[in-house]
Amino acid sequence: MKTSTSLGSLWDTWGITAILVLLLAVAPVLTPDFFSLDNAQSVLRESAYLGIVAAGMTFAIASGAFDLSVGGQLALCSVVSLIGFAAGGTALAIVAAVATGLACGLINASLITRLSVPPFVATLGTLFVFRGVSYILTQDGPKTLPYDQIGSPFVKIGGLNVAGVPVPFVIMLGVFAAAWLLLRRTATGRRVLAYGSSPEAAKFCGISPTRLRFFVFALVGVSVGIATLTYITRVWTADGSAQDGFELKVIAAVVLGGTSLKGGKATLIGTFSAVLLISVLNDMLVSEGVPSAYQRIVLGGVLIIALTIDGLRTRFAAPGSLRRAVSGLGVRTPQPGSVR
Amino acid sequence: MKSKILVSLAVAGALVMAGCSDSNAPSDNQSGSDKVVVGFSVYDMQYEFFQKMEKGTREAATAKGWEFKLHDEKSDENEMVTGAQALIDQGVDVLIISPFKPSALGPIIAKAKAKGVPVIVDDIGGGGAPYDAIVISDNAGGGKLAAEYMAKQIAANGKTSKNVASITCEPSAVYAARRNAGFKAEIEKQGFKVVAELSGNSKAEEGYKVMKDILAKNPDVAGVFSCNDPMGVAAANAVKDAGKDPVKDIVTVGFNADPEAITAIKANGLAATVAQDPAAMGALTVKLADQALAKTPLTFDNAAEREVYNPVQLISKENVDTVK
Repeated sequence: MKTSTSLGSLWDTWGITAILVLLLAVAPVLTPDFFSLDNAQSVLRESAYLGIVAAGMTFAIASGAFDLSVGGQLALCSVVSLIGFAAGGTALAIVAAVATGLACGLINASLITRLSVPPFVATLGTLFVFRGVSYILTQDGPKTLPYDQIGSPFVKIGGLNVAGVPVPFVIMLGVFAAAWLLLRRTATGRRVLAYGSSPEAAKFCGISPTRLRFFVFALVGVSVGIATLTYITRVWTADGSAQDGFELKVIAAVVLGGTSLKGGKATLIGTFSAVLLISVLNDMLVSEGVPSAYQRIVLGGVLIIALTIDGLRTRFAAPGSLRRAVSGLGVRTPQPGSVR
Repeated sequence: MKSKILVSLAVAGALVMAGCSDSNAPSDNQSGSDKVVVGFSVYDMQYEFFQKMEKGTREAATAKGWEFKLHDEKSDENEMVTGAQALIDQGVDVLIISPFKPSALGPIIAKAKAKGVPVIVDDIGGGGAPYDAIVISDNAGGGKLAAEYMAKQIAANGKTSKNVASITCEPSAVYAARRNAGFKAEIEKQGFKVVAELSGNSKAEEGYKVMKDILAKNPDVAGVFSCNDPMGVAAANAVKDAGKDPVKDIVTVGFNADPEAITAIKANGLAATVAQDPAAMGALTVKLADQALAKTPLTFDNAAEREVYNPVQLISKENVDTVK
């Protein structure tokens, strides 16, 4: 790993985090009760299901692929989990959610590798299929956690705090820690980046595309399964329409974080900060009563601006004085894509 | 290059601020102890029905001198739970909610109960949760109004047939089913017989098909009532396609006063419909919220489900021009 760094790669990893810090600094000015315990907990709790799936999606995008089916997966995992809860309580609900996510991921990987369908098309197809199955399972009305189960451990996942920190956010922290270790400290993580950087070169290095696809899409599926546990225990209900458009929110968070759509480069810190940024922005806009149309415009604008900065960086990131200037500061950051 | 990044950052910051620029204007969160704060979480402000409901709720609340906080669920159960819980966190004294997913009321009401905040549900459904009261349109009463009008109009048409038909919504739509039940009870009291009662699953195309079947098996029906307007207008079209008049031959009545039904009534393409009054429903929720805050026992039209009914209005050619 190189010891020097460029302003560009500094931005890659920490840029969105800087914006998040900036936003957190102005938040209490605009929203006086922003840092109230209740509100802070609400933002963290709310961010978990998006964050956990975004962690998984970071691997998919780093490997040069999308998983467009995560919205359908979330609906299906939620519905099956609620069916599991009705049949066998907390344990079965948890197993059902994660197993369903894993199954969805394996189906995606099979379509991509065995039938040679491009990931974009395969997961677009399964997005509809997973939603369709969720609709069939909820023909008689949405599946629901009954109110009298309010004391069950499963329902408590969504509402409970540990030392003031919401349990969903604790789960999200755990997922990101595990994902970071996987990406940065294992051969598998390096293979994902290598494959995303150049599938051809990776093949010559003995990386099996089939195994890699299975790993990445199963990982996304499992992340959806885990996210389901933090989602369904907050909302208590699901049917085929649950979280329509979720896949685009997830991809937006990953890209906003600085992971390149071209593959071969991933920043989990960026993804993490981007998820929080989206949640904080959303919370501020909602609590200030900004009409929903303007909320969408602000979020879209932030995404475009972040990518514009990324585009500028790529265009001007030739070796130059700024690069030296920053490296002269002795700043060290993890080198995304250094495996290349 | 550095300057470009800084400029972009500044723009991002400015954009964020612009999105929140009108923040300081009306919000007096720490407004003190005596002023009642009411939170209203609305289904989706894109729809006219809920815009009217919001207006009715807001006006009734401000008339009481209350502070009014609005949250838009944007037809999303996640936003519904997060936003409604946020209202409770912000310290509202009472919560009024028209739930996008009644089945997601559980976590909201659990939180409200923990903080001692009464919850009044406006329309859609209660999802089996322990809300304080739910305001819904008087569906059975609307069916009764439809039956009264139909009997009168059949007499005016000079028809002697005592046979009528009823088209229902999907079986899971519990409140909508009361419309057909209210219709049936009254029309039978008037000496008619419901010879066909079939489901069109709330859909126009199925309503059309069902009406075709009714006309084939019971060509002498003098009137047909549908539990919503898409099916009502479709049934009227089936009547027209059979060479008959949906006002003068087979009195066709819908429910909901959808724009398509209003247009059809003006053009003699539908005899009547029944209008809900979302603004009055909003005002009624504020009245109930006031009573709940004062710990006055609420009076229900259906005590088992804690339902309070809001009156509905029959719309026919005579008064269709008063509908906005």
